[in-house]
Amino acid sequence: MVAFLIQRLLQGIVVLFIVTFFTFGLMQLAPGDPIDIMVGEAIITDEQIELIQDKWGLNRPWYEQYFTWLSNFVQGDFGQSVVRTGVPVSDMVIEAMGPTLKLNALAITFALVLAIPAGIMAAVKQYSVFDSGIMVWASAGVALPNFWIALMLIVLFTGQLGWLPSSTTGTWKHWVMPVAVLAINETAILARLSRGSTLEVINQEYVTTARAKGLSERLVMVRHVVRNALLPIVTVLGLRVAFLLSGTIVVETIFAFPGIGRLFITSVDRLDYQVVQAITVMFVLFVIVANIATDLLYGIIDPRIRVK
Amino acid sequence: MLRDSRFEDLLTGIAPTSRRSFLKRSVAMAAALPAFGSLLAACGDDDDDDDDDDGGGEDADPTATEASGGGGDEATATEEEMTDDDPTATEEMVDDDPTATEEMTDDEPTATEEDSGSGGGDGEPVQGGVFIGLGHHEVASLSPDDWGPSVHYFIVGNIHGRLLKLDPFYVLQPNHAESFEVSDDGLVYTFAVRDGITWHDGETFDADDVAYTYNYYRNPDNAAASASNYVGVIDVEATDASTVVVTLEQPNAALLTRLGQAGLVPEHHHGEIGEDAYKADPIGTGPWILQEWRAAEFTELVANPDYWEGAPNMDGIRENIVPEASVRSIALQSGEADSAVWPLVTDDHLAFLEDPELSDYTVVVTSSVAVNHFMINNLNPIFQDKRVRQAMMFAIDREAIRTDLWQGLAVLATANISPALEFYYEPDVAQYPYDPDQAAALLEEAGWTLNGDGVREKDGETLSWTCTIITGDQARRPEAELVQANLNEVGFNMEIAEAPLATIQEGQRSGDIDMSLYNWTYGGGDGEPDGSNTLRSDARNNWSNWQNERADELLDAGLVETDPDARKEIYSEIQKLVAEEVPFLFIKYWDWFNIYAPRVKGVPEGVLEGDNLYQFLHQMWIEE
Repeated sequence: MVAFLIQRLLQGIVVLFIVTFFTFGLMQLAPGDPIDIMVGEAIITDEQIELIQDKWGLNRPWYEQYFTWLSNFVQGDFGQSVVRTGVPVSDMVIEAMGPTLKLNALAITFALVLAIPAGIMAAVKQYSVFDSGIMVWASAGVALPNFWIALMLIVLFTGQLGWLPSSTTGTWKHWVMPVAVLAINETAILARLSRGSTLEVINQEYVTTARAKGLSERLVMVRHVVRNALLPIVTVLGLRVAFLLSGTIVVETIFAFPGIGRLFITSVDRLDYQVVQAITVMFVLFVIVANIATDLLYGIIDPRIRVK
Repeated sequence: MLRDSRFEDLLTGIAPTSRRSFLKRSVAMAAALPAFGSLLAACGDDDDDDDDDDGGGEDADPTATEASGGGGDEATATEEEMTDDDPTATEEMVDDDPTATEEMTDDEPTATEEDSGSGGGDGEPVQGGVFIGLGHHEVASLSPDDWGPSVHYFIVGNIHGRLLKLDPFYVLQPNHAESFEVSDDGLVYTFAVRDGITWHDGETFDADDVAYTYNYYRNPDNAAASASNYVGVIDVEATDASTVVVTLEQPNAALLTRLGQAGLVPEHHHGEIGEDAYKADPIGTGPWILQEWRAAEFTELVANPDYWEGAPNMDGIRENIVPEASVRSIALQSGEADSAVWPLVTDDHLAFLEDPELSDYTVVVTSSVAVNHFMINNLNPIFQDKRVRQAMMFAIDREAIRTDLWQGLAVLATANISPALEFYYEPDVAQYPYDPDQAAALLEEAGWTLNGDGVREKDGETLSWTCTIITGDQARRPEAELVQANLNEVGFNMEIAEAPLATIQEGQRSGDIDMSLYNWTYGGGDGEPDGSNTLRSDARNNWSNWQNERADELLDAGLVETDPDARKEIYSEIQKLVAEEVPFLFIKYWDWFNIYAPRVKGVPEGVLEGDNLYQFLHQMWIEE
């Protein structure tokens, strides 16, 4: 187990290096100059531009800038934002990470609580009205884009009914719509998945055997059906956790959430290299951790995998 | 709407109203200040509630105004807002003399007093409440060095004081400077700094702080983005606690607009923590004090009870960051917010103008000073013949763009200066009505003939290029597509691509990008007509790579010339030159919308510059 973990962590470091190297290079390859963003329409001379470039090290070769970044990163220093001059990038990322994590945690929790039982129930009652209802819901949830759902919710609950605020954080009411939008999409995906995987398991011989042994239907479901049906759900869940972060970009923009998704988009747009790098590192770490967690969960759910 | 007909008036230069002539003089006066070197601004704390109306406000239409959208500094004060303590300076103006010198006395009404009622309602100011504005991107810094973007300026401009302040009619008004004098040669400016002003931390503000601010930001070692405010300044000295002397190496007509309005920082605080830390920890002398700053979410300010013009009526102001325009609109309509600092989409603007259910909102419509235009890479051989550029202007149906795409919420551009700058605007320039035949004739004359594919070519080269617009720019993409259709109809072959703005601007400088589409100022910011930073051949932001010696001479002359009439002549010639040479395809000036919720009272009417009304929130109030 420990060897497995060490191996995966080492792989993760290699992935981290490769991704950050290429991200840095790609950002630098993109034409454009962050100084344009900084000075806007101000009248400024070439000498002043050079001074600003010197100050930020922007006139050094990109690989040199990368290794400076890497060296600082290893020491826990993510540098400073060019756009929000004077503010450490790590502060910005940590500040933005809070709302995003909370948003995702709430959305995924709601999705899990709603989708898995609903999917399993739909499979058990296949072709019933309930099953059809779940499938319509799931198809709509997958098909409708986040931004459309978000705007419709705002039109209804802020514009028409005046029940919920449309933007920023503050009270619990501010969280209702953003969480709902993310959860609607996730619920749809997970409900379809849990229904499908349950249907696959439910007709297996070992389930019939369990029933033949005289186990109650509840035990058959919990011990034999659900447990086996969870494997593909865990796999997808691992992927979704990483994907959710990027999925929040739209939601955070519409609901004016000061999260990591919005910070990322803004930073790419403004060529704020340091911030993009820091967020990239965070994303990569999330994917690595999510994958390792998925592998470990496999072992817990299915002992055969642990043995292998 | 009246607004539309008014814009037509502006275009044809007819029907000046009494208010217009008043404004014209006002603008001229602002420019005249350095020429006469004798402006006295007596702006004490006397009572000055008398309303000597020149009739200016009578014909004001709250939606029929035109001004900048471009991040200037302005100020205003309405009749209702001017309390006994209001020390805002005013001018004695001589009718029809744009060069009138000015005596600023406490006994005179201010320009805005005369010109405005309260669009937000009459009545006595009410204390309390928090004003909520909506910006579209984060407030990245709280230093005046970074206050350029409107969303920043809303906050940073309200925290910091300045020596002079433009009002919404493009008139420079004394602020922290009680008065100033300019030497006869225009090289020495002596400012008398107002006594009794304190920093937000209680320390006394004095001339040393002014000298410190100017010297810090003009010092090349500090690599300040605002260093351009101090171009030509060779010395700044506080000769005593209430006198600052600024010395120039040559006269600079734009100095007061730029240096005079630079935000002031405290020597005792900024000097101790440095600029980088100051960006997050500002202490100003403005009407509002920083309470909480979450760059990407909101910034909250509370009233400064010791503000020199009197404590604000409201308890605080707050800017929420809401990137999505439609959400800003819903927030305004649902009462969640009081104003959108950054505009909404056109349909929503129209709704606020026309929907009876929204008629109780105060809609301030002004004309942007940033021209909506297609930059042309003049280095590309296919664009070097001016007949080709003129043909493009004739080929574009700009009126269709204005009416069909912008629902009439724009005014067509005639050159580089917006009609909002009434004094400097020159309507008598080469005109480009929609005329595809004229376009084709010009192209034929220039030797570009149609080939079998319907594209014009000359010496084996076709009239083909790519216009790169800003990625995701949904507002302007249809405009690019309409222009593409117009141009291709007469034998041009324009493709459309997208790229981030920073990429486009880099490509424009290097000549790799042949055309783009966005809005930018070519003179007009803060009411100052100088466009050296975009029109000069060697300007860093000469996006069209336009090389024209005559333009360079005129731009240099315009900066040194301090007589307003002579300046007007110079900038008229520049506009004629731009219209004739067509260095870029000037399309229109957008209407700039600043919408206030019904509960916000004391919003002045008839202003020329809507954005800077936010710098006068301390004089407005909230009435539920």
